[in-house]
Amino acid sequence: MDLTGLKWLQQHQQMVSPEFLQILGSDGREELRKVESYLGNNIYDTIDGCISRTSSFQMEPVKNNEENRVIALGNKRKPEGKRETIEKKKKIKAEDETESSMKENSNMSNTETSSEFLKQDYIHVRARRGEATDRHSLAERARREKISKKMKCLRDIVPGCNKVTGKAGMLDEIINYVQSLQQQVEFLSMKLSFVNPELEFHINELSSMMVDSRSFPLHQQGSLDYSVINSNQTTSLNALKIETSSNWDVHSQCLYNNLRTDSVSSFFSLK
Amino acid sequence: MERQIMNNKKRLFSVEPTELSPSEVFTRKYTSHLVPALKKLNMDKSPSPINQLTVKHEVDKALALSAQEFAWSGFLLQKLSSSNNPTTTTSSSSNGTRILEGSCKEDEDGEIEEKLSELRKLLPGGEEMNVEEMLSEIGNYIKCLELQTIALKSIVQDTT
Repeated sequence: MDLTGLKWLQQHQQMVSPEFLQILGSDGREELRKVESYLGNNIYDTIDGCISRTSSFQMEPVKNNEENRVIALGNKRKPEGKRETIEKKKKIKAEDETESSMKENSNMSNTETSSEFLKQDYIHVRARRGEATDRHSLAERARREKISKKMKCLRDIVPGCNKVTGKAGMLDEIINYVQSLQQQVEFLSMKLSFVNPELEFHINELSSMMVDSRSFPLHQQGSLDYSVINSNQTTSLNALKIETSSNWDVHSQCLYNNLRTDSVSSFFSLK
Repeated sequence: MERQIMNNKKRLFSVEPTELSPSEVFTRKYTSHLVPALKKLNMDKSPSPINQLTVKHEVDKALALSAQEFAWSGFLLQKLSSSNNPTTTTSSSSNGTRILEGSCKEDEDGEIEEKLSELRKLLPGGEEMNVEEMLSEIGNYIKCLELQTIALKSIVQDTT
């Protein structure tokens, strides 16, 4: 249906309703022609409903035309958020910003009817009512959405930021957390350097024995006790032997469910 | 994964071949890098006391080697190899002093920018990334740090 629609449009340009052309205006007509010639080149690209979902975000202006509505984006990756997959825009039609600006922008509202035409390899970003729809602001908005998505992911990773709202507070929390983690590592390695001469263990034991990750005081952000090694480690070495990697896996999953390099994760798909 | 939970004293075995989660993979890699390195340090320098910084160096190196799928690990490795005296990768110079300067700016964006740049300093290679990239990298950097901490704790505990 999509292909046929495009073909139709291409071949029957002169049969586009005169009203439509009139509304477009002379500039719009020219644009329509340009658009259709462009569309003609793409008409045989695979229309894949999933393409827009499997996309990495790559901005390339189709034309150097400020009235251009569609942002062409390269598609490579995994599903992005709803907003970007569902919405479509036809090139010559776009949502109305204001009624008065129709002439300047040669906009048409009415995304529904022709929205199927452009399912091709574009990521479509819906412009909300009253928002600017020119290329730059769309790009800007898409970028901002990506960033906020990532911030949300970070919320899951960094503990204790449920009460924090807003970017600045969130960033604060992240900074604090990273610094505290780094300090912990430093402290532990210092301790290790003292203990090192007495190291006697086998690698196998270590890998099969995994610390119960619940003992990791993730939620004691403000009160990282450096004697945590003795106090929080409730499992002794023998008990740890009982827990195998699979058990640890269960515990760690709840903490690290984002860190999956091979599967779809919101974190790694944010590209 | 199915498990047969046997007697408490016996090991738990999963019936299916183990699917290693990335966190597990990381931890194993990490310990397999760090432990031999520590042993080697131990053996090589048994007469003289082991330098703290050297241990830290090894620790960081193990971290970087175990997480090579991430961008920051490359930067970390670079930093480690370029410095003869192993430098601390942590911003230990700024520990405790998390005062954000210029907060007299009313502009919210300015504040955010400052915080972002501070975050960049924390992440190895953060200076060269753009914001979106950096945010993702920070996420997995945090995870790896957490895992590293756990591993280090278990190593230390093992020997005490």
